[in-house]
This record gives sequence, structure tokens and C-alpha cells, in this order.
Amino acid sequence: MWKFIVRRLIITFPQLVVLSVLVFLAAQFMPGDALTGSIGNPNITAEQLEQRREALGLNDPWYVRYGDWVSGVVQGDLGESYRFKMPVTELIGQRIVNSFWLSVVTLIFTYIIAVPLGILSGRYNDSLLDQSITGYTYVGFATPLFIFALVMLWIFGYQFGWFPTNGSVEPGLTPGTFDYVLSKLYHLILPGISMALIATVNTVQYLRSEIIDTKQRDFIITARAKGAPESRVYNRHILRNSLLPIAAFFGFEITGLIGGTIFVETIFSYPGMGQLFLESVTLRDFSTLVSVVLLFGVTAIGGALLSDIILSLVDPRIRIK
Amino acid sequence: MRKTGLSKWFLALMVVFLLVLAACNSESGTEGTDDSGTDSGTEEGSEGEGEEGEGESASEDGLYSIEDFQPVTTDEGEAIDGGHLQFGLVSDTVFEGVLNWNFYEGDPDSQILEWFDEALLDVDENYNYTNDGAATYEMSEDNLTITLTIKDNVNWHDGEPVKAEDWAYSFEVIGHPEYTGVRYGTSMMNIEGMEAYKNGEADSISGIEIIDEKTLSITYLEPDAGLLNSGLWPYAMPKHIFEDIPVAEMAESDAVRQNPIGFGAFKVESIVPGESVTMVANEDYWQGEPALDQLTVQVISPQTVVQALETGQVDMVDSFPTDQYPDVEESLTNVEFLGQTDLAYTYIGFKLGEWNEEEGVAEMNPDAKMADVDLRRAMWYAVDNNAVGEQFYNGLRWNATTLIPPSFPAYHDETIETPTYDPEMAKQILEEAGYVDTNGDGMRENPEGEELVINFASMSGGDTAEPLANYYMQAWAEVGLNVQLVDGRLLEFNTFYERIENDDPAIDIYQGAWGTGTAVDPSGLYSKFAAFNYPRFVNEENEELLAEGLSEESFDQAHRQEVYKEWQQLMVEEIPVFPTVYRAVLVPVNNRVQGYSIAEHWNAPHEVSVTAEEPETVE
Repeated sequence: MWKFIVRRLIITFPQLVVLSVLVFLAAQFMPGDALTGSIGNPNITAEQLEQRREALGLNDPWYVRYGDWVSGVVQGDLGESYRFKMPVTELIGQRIVNSFWLSVVTLIFTYIIAVPLGILSGRYNDSLLDQSITGYTYVGFATPLFIFALVMLWIFGYQFGWFPTNGSVEPGLTPGTFDYVLSKLYHLILPGISMALIATVNTVQYLRSEIIDTKQRDFIITARAKGAPESRVYNRHILRNSLLPIAAFFGFEITGLIGGTIFVETIFSYPGMGQLFLESVTLRDFSTLVSVVLLFGVTAIGGALLSDIILSLVDPRIRIK
Repeated sequence: MRKTGLSKWFLALMVVFLLVLAACNSESGTEGTDDSGTDSGTEEGSEGEGEEGEGESASEDGLYSIEDFQPVTTDEGEAIDGGHLQFGLVSDTVFEGVLNWNFYEGDPDSQILEWFDEALLDVDENYNYTNDGAATYEMSEDNLTITLTIKDNVNWHDGEPVKAEDWAYSFEVIGHPEYTGVRYGTSMMNIEGMEAYKNGEADSISGIEIIDEKTLSITYLEPDAGLLNSGLWPYAMPKHIFEDIPVAEMAESDAVRQNPIGFGAFKVESIVPGESVTMVANEDYWQGEPALDQLTVQVISPQTVVQALETGQVDMVDSFPTDQYPDVEESLTNVEFLGQTDLAYTYIGFKLGEWNEEEGVAEMNPDAKMADVDLRRAMWYAVDNNAVGEQFYNGLRWNATTLIPPSFPAYHDETIETPTYDPEMAKQILEEAGYVDTNGDGMRENPEGEELVINFASMSGGDTAEPLANYYMQAWAEVGLNVQLVDGRLLEFNTFYERIENDDPAIDIYQGAWGTGTAVDPSGLYSKFAAFNYPRFVNEENEELLAEGLSEESFDQAHRQEVYKEWQQLMVEEIPVFPTVYRAVLVPVNNRVQGYSIAEHWNAPHEVSVTAEEPETVE
């Protein structure tokens, strides 16, 4: 078990190095820099702009900048965001909390929806119920999240006024109070549900086909032959075996959610990682961009690792290999 | 049976999505930044906003005019005591949260700043300083020393008086060698002793003298007529709070991000980073206690701004996408639209030379493709900018004449005759200048008989960018000029400016936009020493006039106006660029709000009041 994890970790390291170099090179090739957007201040001469570029190191070749940056990263310093004028670590710290909670809520909703739907659909496959659930998943696959979120916002945020429409918390509350936490949660529900309703369709489908598959296995027939009641057959035998791929999927699910979703965050004006990423691209905030992309890379690799570990925990066959 | 039921459901869903898609279509990005500080001019965003095309706007009644709008609210109701105002920042990004005038760069931050900290000097409608603000000024006989006196009742939010040393401290921070912001400009360098201080050779700025607790004087090296036209740094910085923070760390300090103070009508109570700021009335405000007792500023996504206004979630916003105006004019009954002419213009620029990096000066190339002024003039005559304004912007943009927009009423000269749409005139000019079609392909060749292809760079973004560029190219083709898009497509913002800046030889002409800021002096854009002189235009008379406009004689307003009139005339004759359209800014304000104005020189935040506890909503 430990050997397995260590081996996975060792593979991870070169992946990270390659990733960081690629990200850095790509950023280098983007036209313009953080100062392109602030041109147009006629009180600033060309000379001063050049001085600022020099001071910020924007004129150095990429390997020099990469070297500087890596030595910073090793010491836990991701550099200074040009746009926000604050350390990137602090900036990401602020945003990742928001993204994290949004992910948690979305994940909870996703599984609340996915598990019963998947089970029903698998158990009564080819019935009317199954077909409507499958129909829903197809619609979900086909619906772009940014349209769906906008519709949800419009209906439940504005038409009915049940949910707040922007931000992550009511303005003016003191952090740490009960009201504050409650308000945070309240702000999470609508974006969380919007995302979950779309994200859940994968899981529903997985679960359904897995259940249908397991249903026909020999050991289920055996269980039935032994006279086990139907509920026991489903809950003890089929479900437990069908959840395997879902567990494996969990690691990847986390990755996607830490990255935040650009659309949902933009539509709900919810300041999370996705928004930070998009803004740092368009405004050429290099230090933030590189750090954020690297963080996404790390979570992706970490998520895959997590999936493998979960899988090896629940499925001894993998471990033995 | 089952199948049909399901497919019907699908169909219904499709229709819903189609409708939503159509609705989303007209929503485009927000307007670029509009800086209201003294550091004039910001890059305006691309030609993002606009109706998608002719369609409805072709009819007479689909057109609007800036004349029909006014910048102040019509106050009809009875104001209530107190009230809580909701202000929306329309932005698809968060606000950076650099809440200090000396350090902020993004426009959203400045919108927040304006509510709780203000300039010590007020300006009039031409952005010249007056003595009505929190401080008064007096210029010395030789126009070199300005004496500034802060009024007695001006206090910081923590109760400390705003002192002369606070204002001086602002200069010391900006001039500090470790200063990280962008406010160190030409007018800063003109202060006596600033250079030595900036280089670390002196501990203080010799030109800034603190006379007593509330009075200071600033001495300049050269007289600068632009100084009184929003050219002086008018913001103080609370020294008692910042003095212990190293300058390099100020922008990230809590005094800027968490609990900033100012001396404005409202005090910051709490900040949710990137999302919202809540403020309460400052009872000790120097102009009197504000009528409102609470104010919340929150970020609103451009996609939902209309709904936010409709439901009264916000009373007003900082900027409204003008292209959405025709859609909501009828339905948004609960708001009043305020409007004024923006401090900006869109223009077509001609590449006339290159930037000499070593000497920091533009150099004209007499052999440039666009070097012939007749060709440039003909191109101006060939385009119908009023039609552009009507077709693409419902009349909310209109034909521009000179390079000083009408938002500077004293300096803009509307009597100057500028080329306006006349294709026959354009053809005639081209004929006379020797641009004739010699090979019979319908397009003119240059006077040497070589084929003439003009490469046009235009920015992408928004629905109108493409049709607009196509319109211009067609208009030029109509008079026989072969104009083609650079690379055959529109350029993305960063690429566009990078290539323009580097004088890419593939670009002959381009469409850009400038925000002028509040200083009328255009030398930052058109002097040969200005890096933003993208056409690389060099002309002796131009340099003389620009210098004259800032000279000692120009402290006399009448003289200064005369100089800038001559300059506008010169630019109409030389045409390094020609302005295409001026634009309107529209700001919706809830009917319950009174005493508000979007005019730049307005400074009465304490008089803003509301007539009801809750914002009006659309019934």
C-alpha cells in the first residue's frame, strides 16, 4: 500500500516540473503584459513605463524569470500580484476558501441527487421512471452550464427572489458570527444546485450502468436463490459493488471543483479561483496566472492520486497488482 | 405515446434555451475604465458595446440623443431621514481592493474611493480648480509657487484633522524610491527637489514647505498652465496611520485594504474582498452631515445588471452598457437615466513613422504609405460617422469633430469645420492628388502607379466590432481605396496594442479610442516625446502649440482656449488621426434617489437622499 503511494508520488514530481515549465512558456508567448492595460496614462512617459517593466522583471528572458519564480515557490513565496498589489499566496488564500466551500456544497448536492436517481434508474431499468431519469441526464449533458446557471439565477434569484443573486456573503456582516456563516451558506445554495444539477448527470449514468451490470452477476443470483429479501440484495450486494467506480470518480470530481467554475462564478459574481484564473489571463497578471495554473495542475495530479488510493482501499485487487 | 410526450418536452425546453440565448446575445462586456483622477487618460476598451445592427435602429424613433439626458437627478419627492443607498459596480471582475488614491489602478476601486475619500480641491466644469472644495489655493505672481490651505473643519474619519503634512506626505510617498504605484508623472517631476528625493539624494522634497498645520506651499521648476487644470495631486494621505508602514508594503497593508479611512461623506465599515463595501454616514463631514445613513457598494455582473435594477437590488450603478439601453428604456420604469458626454473619443489613426527607442522620440517616415495628407483627408471624407452612430449605437454615439471632446466646454471648438461625409469630395481629392485607377481593377493606385493596399488594424470584442470595421472598409472601397484587415481578421486587445506600440510595419491605419481624463492638455497623446503618440506624428507647430498650452501665458484662460483652438484646427489640417465618434455615458438611478449627479465636477455626496426606505421596483 505505502509502496504504491510512494511510487505514485515519485512519478508526480517530474510531472509538476514539466507542467510549470510549460505554463511559464505559454505565459511568455502571450502578447502584451500587465502594463499593456494601463497604457494610456499620458502623465507617464515611455521611459517610466520601461523602468517599471525593468523593475518588475518583465524584460528578463523567461529562464531568468522562471529561476526567480521557482526559487520563490520553493520557499513558499508565489510572488506579488501586479494587479492586486498583494502577495499571490494571500490572494489565492482568500479565493480558495470560497471555491472550497462552493465545491463542498456542490459535491453534497451532486451526490444527494446522483445516488437515489442512479439507484432507481438502475434498479428499474427500461421502465418509464428510468427513461425519464436517463432523459434528464441527456438534457443535462447537452445543456451548457452558463446558460443553465443564468436561467436558474433569473428564475430563483430574480423572479421568485428566494436566493441572493451575487457575492459570497451579505455585505456588512462580521466574519465569524452565526449570521455570517448562515449568509455564506445561503449564498452557496443557488450556485451549488445549479452546478450540481448539471455535474450530477455523469455520476447518475455511471451508477445506473454499474447497477445494471452488477444485477446480472452470478453472486446476485446466488443471493436471491438463498432467499435474501430484495432490499437486502440491493443495499448489501448490488449497491456496495456498484459504488466502486463512483469512489474512483470522486478524486477527479474534487479536482474539477477546486478549479472552480468560471461560468458560475462570473454569473453569480462569486469571487473564487475560476474567476481569478480568467481575470489573470485577460489582464496578464503573470505571477497570479502561473501560480493558479500550477495549483490546478497540482490538484489534478493530486486528485488522480487520491482516486487511485481510494480505489486501492476499496478494491484489494488493484493493490495486489 | 411516451416518445411524443418526451419530445414535446424537449421542444419546449429548446424554445426556452433559444430565448435565453437570444437574450444573452445583446449583453456584452462593460465599458473600459474611465479614470476620474488627475492622471488623465486611460485606454478605452474596444468598440465593445453596441446594437447588433441596423434592424430596429433604422427607424427614426429608435434613435436617442444625448441632448435628451441630463447629468443630475430630477428631484420631485419628499426625502426621508436617513436611508440606505445601494450602489452597484458593474464589472465582470472583482474589485482589486486597493483603496487608496495613491495606489489604486482599477476603475472599480476609484468608484469606491470616491464615496469615502475625496480630492481636497474641487473643479469646475472644465476641470479647473476652484476654491470651493476642502482646500483653497493661491498661485504666486511668478506662477511657480502654489499655496494650499485646508479648511479647518476637514477631519479624517478617526477624528484627526487633515493636516498640511498629510498632503505633503502624499507627495513624499509617490516620490519615494520604493513607491509601487503609477502616479509619479510629469507634474510630480516638475516639483522642485523631487528628482533628488526620488533618487534618494535628499530626505525631503525641498519644493514642498509646510507653513502651518493647515497650510503648505509647493514650488515648481517651470510654470505649468496644466497645473490648475487638474494637474496637481489633490489627495492627502493620513500620515499618522501610514508613517510606520514601509512604502513598498503600503499597497498591501490593512490601512489600504481592510480599514481605509478618508475624510469623505461616508466611512468604511466593512469590506468583503472583491465583493462589497459597506459604509456609514460620516457625521463630521466638512460639508455637513450626509442625508443618508448607510451606503453599500457591491459588484454586479454585467449579465444581470438589468435584473438588479428592475428588482431594486441596486439603486444605481457606476456605468451602464449603453447598448442595452434601447431594450430597457420602456421596461425599466423605476429608474431615471442620467447621461452626459463621455471624456473620450474613438478615432482612426494613421501610422506615419516609428518610435526611436534610444532617444525616446517619434520619427516620421516621409515614405510611409499614409504620409500623404490628401489621402488621409480623403479617407476622412469617405466615412459617414453620423450613420455609424445611428446604425450601430442608436444615436448614443455621434460624429466627432475635433480631438478635444465637447466634455471640455470651454476648450472644445465646435466652429471648426472638419471633413464630414462627402464621397464625391473624397474622390475629387484623390483624383487631384494623383490617386487614380491605372490598371482598371476598380481600385486606385498610388501616384507612382503602384498598387495601393492599406492595412487596417481593428480590435475584436463585442458584437459591433466586426460590422463596424466592415463598414469602414466598404466606405473606403466606395471611393476606390483598397483597405484590408491586418491578417484578415480583428485583433485581440493585447495583441492589438502590442503591435501598434511596436510600430508593426504590417499596420498602416488602425481604429482606437482614448479616454482623455480631466486634463485638457493632449501632449501625452500627440507630442513627439509621447510614447502614446502611436501615429508617430511629428510637427513643429504642433509641438509649439502643445508647449504654449502649458506655458506661463496660458495661466490666462482666454489665451489657453485660443491655443487649444489653434491646436484643434492644426490637427484637422494635418490629420495624424481623425476622431470618428464621441460617446454618451448613461447611468440609471432609482426614482427614490435625489440630489445625485454624474457630472465629474459634482461634489455633494452629503446631499444625496432617498424618498423611500426601499428602492422602487418595476411593477
